[in-house]
Amino acid sequence: MNDRTMRAFLYWVQEKRWLLIILMMGILLYWLPYPDSISVKGYRTFVISAMAISLIILEPIPLPATALLIAVLEVSFRIASPSEVARSYMSDSVFFIMGSLMMAVAIIHQGLDTRLAMGIIRITGNKVRNIVMGFTVISALLSSFIGEHTVAAMLLPVGLTLVRYASDKKPAPQLTAIILFSIAYGAIIGSIGTPSGGARNAIMIEYWKSATDSGQYLTYYQWMLMAYPLVIIQTVPAAILLGFVFKPEYKILDTPIRKLRVQVAKKGRITARESVAIGIFVLTLLSWVFFNERIGMGIIAISGAILYMATGLVEWKDISDGTNWGVILLFAGAISLGVQMKNAGTALWISQSIISLFGGLMSEIKFLPYLINIGMTTILGNIMSSSGTVAVLGPITLSMNANPLYMGMTTAIVSSFGYFSAFAAPACMIIYSSGLVKVSDFLRAGWRVGLMSILTTIFVIIFYWPLIIHLTNFK
Amino acid sequence: MRFLVGIKDTLEETLSTLRIAAKIANGFSADISVIYIGNKPKEIMASEVAMVRKSLSDWQIYHPGLEVLHWAFNALKNFGFLAGDAPEFKPENLLEEKGRFRMILPEASGEKIRLILREGNLLDELKKETETRDYELAVIGASEDKRKIHKLIQFLDTSVLVVKNFQANLEYKVLLCVDDSRATRRAVIFGARTARHLDAEVEVITVSKRKDFGKGYLNAHKWALKYLRLQKIRHSASLVNGNPVDAFLKKAGRDHIIVMGKGTQNEFLKFFRGSKPIHTAQLADCPVLVVKPFDK
Repeated sequence: MNDRTMRAFLYWVQEKRWLLIILMMGILLYWLPYPDSISVKGYRTFVISAMAISLIILEPIPLPATALLIAVLEVSFRIASPSEVARSYMSDSVFFIMGSLMMAVAIIHQGLDTRLAMGIIRITGNKVRNIVMGFTVISALLSSFIGEHTVAAMLLPVGLTLVRYASDKKPAPQLTAIILFSIAYGAIIGSIGTPSGGARNAIMIEYWKSATDSGQYLTYYQWMLMAYPLVIIQTVPAAILLGFVFKPEYKILDTPIRKLRVQVAKKGRITARESVAIGIFVLTLLSWVFFNERIGMGIIAISGAILYMATGLVEWKDISDGTNWGVILLFAGAISLGVQMKNAGTALWISQSIISLFGGLMSEIKFLPYLINIGMTTILGNIMSSSGTVAVLGPITLSMNANPLYMGMTTAIVSSFGYFSAFAAPACMIIYSSGLVKVSDFLRAGWRVGLMSILTTIFVIIFYWPLIIHLTNFK
Repeated sequence: MRFLVGIKDTLEETLSTLRIAAKIANGFSADISVIYIGNKPKEIMASEVAMVRKSLSDWQIYHPGLEVLHWAFNALKNFGFLAGDAPEFKPENLLEEKGRFRMILPEASGEKIRLILREGNLLDELKKETETRDYELAVIGASEDKRKIHKLIQFLDTSVLVVKNFQANLEYKVLLCVDDSRATRRAVIFGARTARHLDAEVEVITVSKRKDFGKGYLNAHKWALKYLRLQKIRHSASLVNGNPVDAFLKKAGRDHIIVMGKGTQNEFLKFFRGSKPIHTAQLADCPVLVVKPFDK
């Protein structure tokens, strides 16, 4: 082998070291003696899961390739037949994720951000404290229905324009940070409020249906009933906590607000096109609330996307370019794996193994499964991504000795608490990509807001959910 | 001839990197491509971030890397690298092509300078960039991460200048490290041209680990001296016994630019154990230029 070939080979090895390590780990696990407490099929599913999680976290190969690899391994390891695997890749939840992402592209394409800017200015006035509160609340409110990245995409230009006008004379890093974090954290908090807030919520709904013995189904309205109070409880404290972390250089943004008002006023009155765009979204939202049981949330989301295209508000090319098809494939693969984890008994085996670690404590402390769930989900959610975390942990937490409805809801909610890192939640990644906030800012602000979110979630699990279930009698 | 200059921020060290790159490029009449390599969003969120970037550009808020490139562009103008008719920097002229962004600089001197924006891992992106055009030299700021310097020197198919502690007001000498490696002759030529342009003296050093000097070492040493004499470049020479890296570092201090050829060691051993140029670049307190051999 000559020097050039050897160099190319070594470069490839160091580039793909994680892939090689993961493959070796998979082979090693496969050839190790199987534990008696799990079936052969279950253990093989465990090996695939371990490999898939590592591949998703470390990204040594493109994520869509990981998604397809899951299907190949499921069939190769004889966990399910090719037809079964193919079927498990497409479900209403995958349709929902696809439709929501397509609609997000369509909504952002309408340039409604200037309207939002005008709305925020009218509500908040020029005091920084009120502006931060306004961004957090509006971000939370919108992201509960249209997803956090859509909201971040619409509000970030508004926030950054304000910051730019304010930093005309001297840099204002604290002001920049507080405004950007209010957008991101507001979006994260809001995204737990409804099933359409994030892909993770749709994945959990799918798991309730397919990975629990009772085949639980939670409607859009029921989800809101359980989760929306948390949005309300968390939004205002989050904005206040941000005020403790970042001390803005200005208390009043008089000139920046005036300049922003002039800039957005140039767009004139709301156009018919914008009214139609808003109308289609409201129609979709109402359909989610009232018809999701009958026709499924995925079909409604896709109908919304079709309407945007049919009315000419967005071209297919824009949708095609802006939609992350690889992510849809990844979630399809992850859901398929989750279903196989349940069917092959892997989820139960892992959850029992976790329970056995805590021995007698489990029966003494009834709330312990929830604490374990919160701990595992918070850690993985900040390493991986919220949706990936639900896809991986969902079947396991649903198999723990606790109410599957509460456990599933807890996993879906807590997985969104990606406050601590810049890379876990789309909204955090988006503000980080502006280059104006540092990774350390996420830790500084994240631990406070994260702790507050965890405590309020515990409060809701203990007091609110039993009460609401008792009052409304849904199971 | 084309040089590639990697930058990551607008700090003083980056300014030094640009300054030395511009000086050497002038000496070689080379074009400069400035590349900013930013953080790549996780693949799972990449299209969301791209969508936000598009929204932001509608509000005339551009990629943070553009600000750095703009700063670098102005810095090169101030160093006199660009002629008076320097092109105008317009953020909206950013063109996406082949997995990277390139700033279109329409005027004639746009050929002399290229501004490129990439996202991802430093080594990967520099390597990809060197595959798009035939670059002679990559200029990078020194990193605290020694492994990064190791990888850049071993895997980039160009000569590499690692810039550390470069001070514009200091009178630098060129320390030409000569041995029997394949790249030595080229390093001598490169070093001589650099010295001529910087009006610097050259100190030729050959270090042997043994008490005596092998024929290859002595021949290379003689050839270097002859070449410098013919080129009429001020020089001095020394033959030293001991550990080569220690000897280079001791001689270089902070006021030399070390110039040496890429090592001839087996690539596999180099990957695990490093080489003389790699260790020198990792440990030196001054700029180190590692020159690739004629046939790469």
